[in-house]
Amino acid sequence: MSSARSWPALVVLAALAALPLTPFMTKYYMLLGFDALLFGAVAMSLDLLMGYTGLVSFGHAAFFGLGAYATAVLLERGVLSLWLGLGFAVLVVGLYALIVAYFATTRRGIYFALLTLVFAEVVYTFFRYTQTFGGSDGIQGLPAPYLWPGLAIDTPARNYYLILAYLALAYAACRVLVGSHFGRVLVAIRENEDRARFLGYNVQRYKMGVCVISALLTGLGGALYPGRAAYATPDLMLWTVSGELIIMVMIGGLGTLVGPVIGGAFFIILQEKVSSYVDWYFIVIGLVLIAIVLFMPRGLFGLRRLLTLRPWRATA
Amino acid sequence: MLRLREIHAGYGATPILFGVSLEIRAGEAVALLGRNGMGKTTLMKAVMGFLRPWRGTIEFDGRLLTGLTPHEIARLGVGFVPENRRIFPGLTVRENLELGLSAAPRPSAALRRQRLEEVFQHFPRLRERLDQLGQTLSGGEQQMLAIARVMMAGARIILMDEPTQGLAPALVRHIRQMIQELKRLGVTVLLVEQNARMALNVCDRGYIMEKGLIVFEGPAKELRESPVTREKLGV
Repeated sequence: MSSARSWPALVVLAALAALPLTPFMTKYYMLLGFDALLFGAVAMSLDLLMGYTGLVSFGHAAFFGLGAYATAVLLERGVLSLWLGLGFAVLVVGLYALIVAYFATTRRGIYFALLTLVFAEVVYTFFRYTQTFGGSDGIQGLPAPYLWPGLAIDTPARNYYLILAYLALAYAACRVLVGSHFGRVLVAIRENEDRARFLGYNVQRYKMGVCVISALLTGLGGALYPGRAAYATPDLMLWTVSGELIIMVMIGGLGTLVGPVIGGAFFIILQEKVSSYVDWYFIVIGLVLIAIVLFMPRGLFGLRRLLTLRPWRATA
Repeated sequence: MLRLREIHAGYGATPILFGVSLEIRAGEAVALLGRNGMGKTTLMKAVMGFLRPWRGTIEFDGRLLTGLTPHEIARLGVGFVPENRRIFPGLTVRENLELGLSAAPRPSAALRRQRLEEVFQHFPRLRERLDQLGQTLSGGEQQMLAIARVMMAGARIILMDEPTQGLAPALVRHIRQMIQELKRLGVTVLLVEQNARMALNVCDRGYIMEKGLIVFEGPAKELRESPVTREKLGV
């Protein structure tokens, strides 16, 4: 990422960092901001698969949920260090992702999506219908984790800054990744898998690699969730969550990284705002999504071309 | 260098190849001719590992290729230039070329520059188009890029599937020059073509395929003059 091209990202980051200083940011908005940025970052991780490699994962909720349970289990046992929680989440999600990726990448297209879904449903069923980790109640009433003894992440503002840091680091990691040789091979696989094969690329290994990276970024996001919510429940792993993540990527703009962040934040805020007025909020959200897909095929992020009118590449 | 023995292959239960044998020696350019639907592309797929032969063996430099995956075969130095949309349209020319460097998993900047320079010597046009998207190239330029990409990989043999298909006569001439250039560089070429006249002008030897079998083979000169060629290919 050249410094010339990273300045818009840095400006946005600075604006997001300054946001809590405005009087408008109550605790409620701080937590809404947390959710918006968290799901934006998770949608961005999914974009590595969907937008860049052309793989649709229908099981990302499991990575998210496993990450959440990883920290929840430690917090429940009095292990309050955030770093241990994140490390444990990397271990758990990484192992699970390796297994899923190994099997799912042996198949293409819809079969890949179905395999990720089936694996995720197995994980969901385990957490939901056995009492090992609290069954349908999950793990409740968790204490706040700390960065180091004395600095607990126990206020909405601290949670907000934590998730902002996570988003910034995850974005930088994704940006470097898609700009690297590895990223070019992913796009090559998306455009024509066989072509990448006869050029000498072990396509399955690249797919597994990007699956695990995407899963780890998602799992890290999930690992930060119990610190904000004080619980982890099997609902985090519901297949509808995986579906929502796909929608976030689509409405934001496939293969752009920034787009899915916007899509995720937009989705969360829309959902929160509409659902506070009506119970049938999903109808409203559905209509908005249909309108976006029909009239903005490049997603919300595609709108920026109205502002700049500069030529722009979906794959850059 | 590349030797096929008694290759039987097909799709599902449908046989396409009924025991094809052919041999290409190092430095040779060999034409594989035949009308549509005679099994030429199937044969290419079998060599590249996209299709597993039912029976028979494929050897490259004494190594058995049958049973290897496409990327393993590519890394051994077998380059493939497939027919039709041959490049990655959403990547720039430079990115397309650099993807060719797969044989070196972490290509050094020096190697990358060196190979690019080699390619530009033969295809100066690509230097001008370096930062353009693949999809903005003309058909001939795309074909050039597909061949250059295989050269980046340092392929020792190049399989070309109908490179002149759908190209204007002037471009066909250009493709012919490229193949001659490859030969001069010592690259072995297997050229699958419907355009028998062009293929036999540039290649040393030729095979004619019909209904999954080799029905005629010989030096290019012989094939050019033989009535069998006319009968089998209608040229």
